[in-house]
Amino acid sequence: MSLLTVDRVTSGYGDMEVLHDVSIEIAAQEIVTIIGPNGAGKSTLMKTIFGLLKPTAGKIRFIDHEITSHSPDQIVRLGMAYVPQVENVFPSLTVRENLEMGAFIRTDDFGDRIKEIFALFPILQKREKQRVGKMSGGERQMVAMGRALMLNPQLILLDEPSAALAPNLAQVIFERIVAVNETGVAILIVEQNAKESLGLSDRGYVLAGGCNRFSDTGENLLANEEIGQLYLGG
Amino acid sequence: MTTLARIPQLLVYGIISGSILSLGGIGVSLTYSILGFSNFAHGDFMALGAYIALGLFTLFTGLGIPNTRFGPLSFGFGFTVAFILAIALTAIAVILIDRLLFRRLRRSGPIILMMSSIGVALGLRNILQFFWSPQPHYYTQMIQRAVSLPALGIRIKPDEVFIIATAIVLVVLVHSFMRYTKMGKAMRAVADNATLAQVTGINTDRVIIWTWVIAAGLAATAGILSGIENKFITPELGWQMLLSIFAGVVLGGIGNPYGAILGGMVIGISEEVSTAFISTGYKPAVAFVIMIIMLLVKPTGLLGRKN
Repeated sequence: MSLLTVDRVTSGYGDMEVLHDVSIEIAAQEIVTIIGPNGAGKSTLMKTIFGLLKPTAGKIRFIDHEITSHSPDQIVRLGMAYVPQVENVFPSLTVRENLEMGAFIRTDDFGDRIKEIFALFPILQKREKQRVGKMSGGERQMVAMGRALMLNPQLILLDEPSAALAPNLAQVIFERIVAVNETGVAILIVEQNAKESLGLSDRGYVLAGGCNRFSDTGENLLANEEIGQLYLGG
Repeated sequence: MTTLARIPQLLVYGIISGSILSLGGIGVSLTYSILGFSNFAHGDFMALGAYIALGLFTLFTGLGIPNTRFGPLSFGFGFTVAFILAIALTAIAVILIDRLLFRRLRRSGPIILMMSSIGVALGLRNILQFFWSPQPHYYTQMIQRAVSLPALGIRIKPDEVFIIATAIVLVVLVHSFMRYTKMGKAMRAVADNATLAQVTGINTDRVIIWTWVIAAGLAATAGILSGIENKFITPELGWQMLLSIFAGVVLGGIGNPYGAILGGMVIGISEEVSTAFISTGYKPAVAFVIMIIMLLVKPTGLLGRKN
């Protein structure tokens, strides 16, 4: 049974339609990557799933809930988390405070969860009391993922987690993504530089011009010559 | 007396005035960073608090609640209770104004919110004038003797020590709240990035209510303290201070409550010390000139963040 089902969704900004009848599915504990050129509607799809944009047609289901017209704070309570591409941390707060904010709606003691997240991202423990605004891009990305994990979500949406990172740092982030996935969290990644991401994904979708183009296992998409030439830079 | 010999005394006046401006400024700064607009009604929240305290104090006196003075201070139990209740009632009134007006306009953007705050300012001031007239009202007619500290070359009244001490206590409380409580951290998070706060699951509506509670509570305190210092209040008291408050907030870095404290203090002291050299009538101009210079030289303010 699928965890998230996006069923023929049409969405966009105001009168500007960006996505046309897009459908995707993610099963529990899967890693799924959506690739596609700039302007394909990848970020729009994420924002629509997370309730930041309202679809004009189609349905979105998460676990047992229809979430098509839910607001982000309702969706977060159902066990989905979202890491935007930019401005995904609270810069004037410390690492620990960022994580605490991720647990805002928890009323129980989340000290153990913070320890688990420190185990996934050891650098965060060292920087616990540092303001995030003064940290590097890679560290910020880890803070953002850590914050999103605080509520023990079943699914995390990552919008271009490796964007603006040096290749070796991107490598570290992708390793961490796999480690997060191994704790049982399904992950939906949107990537422009997609080879790395597809390589670690169970499945992938190719989005272009706001429509579904291809979908297959990550491996097969990487092996597909046409996709390689069109979307993966040859 | 020579100009130089007057400076220590003027510094004292500046610190007193700066304490009041700082308390007002914290609220302006929080509203700006969390709700995203310059609240021109903030001065009138101060006046509202001062008049609610007056109304309650008058009521208590009528009911025979004692107001035997606390030691050397000019007020006692009755006024203190009126003071504390006025803080709470001002906060409630401001939350109601938010529910009735600001909340409905939240999506319309900062300009609309700012314009509507000017409407709230005019409305509140006129309500106060309607009930209490534009004439000054007195908390007390008592004349308090200043204590002389010849070694420092200053004189200070017990009430003025109370004003400075109250400001210090409140600043420490606000700091601790922002730094150590969950709600305080959430307020800083919303100020950092409201959209991210929402997708994180932070209840932004509750954060906004707390922001108003703190802003309005400190505004009421500042209004009442200015009444204690000047011995009288008018419906215009906050409006008249608003330029100096904004100057302090801009000087310290708008959106940063610590900047508002620093800026309020600098403006208060500059205004008072300037009277040693130029006419008292230019006090508001001093604040204005400092604000303009700051905007030209470093628009982000002394403690402001980039962008």
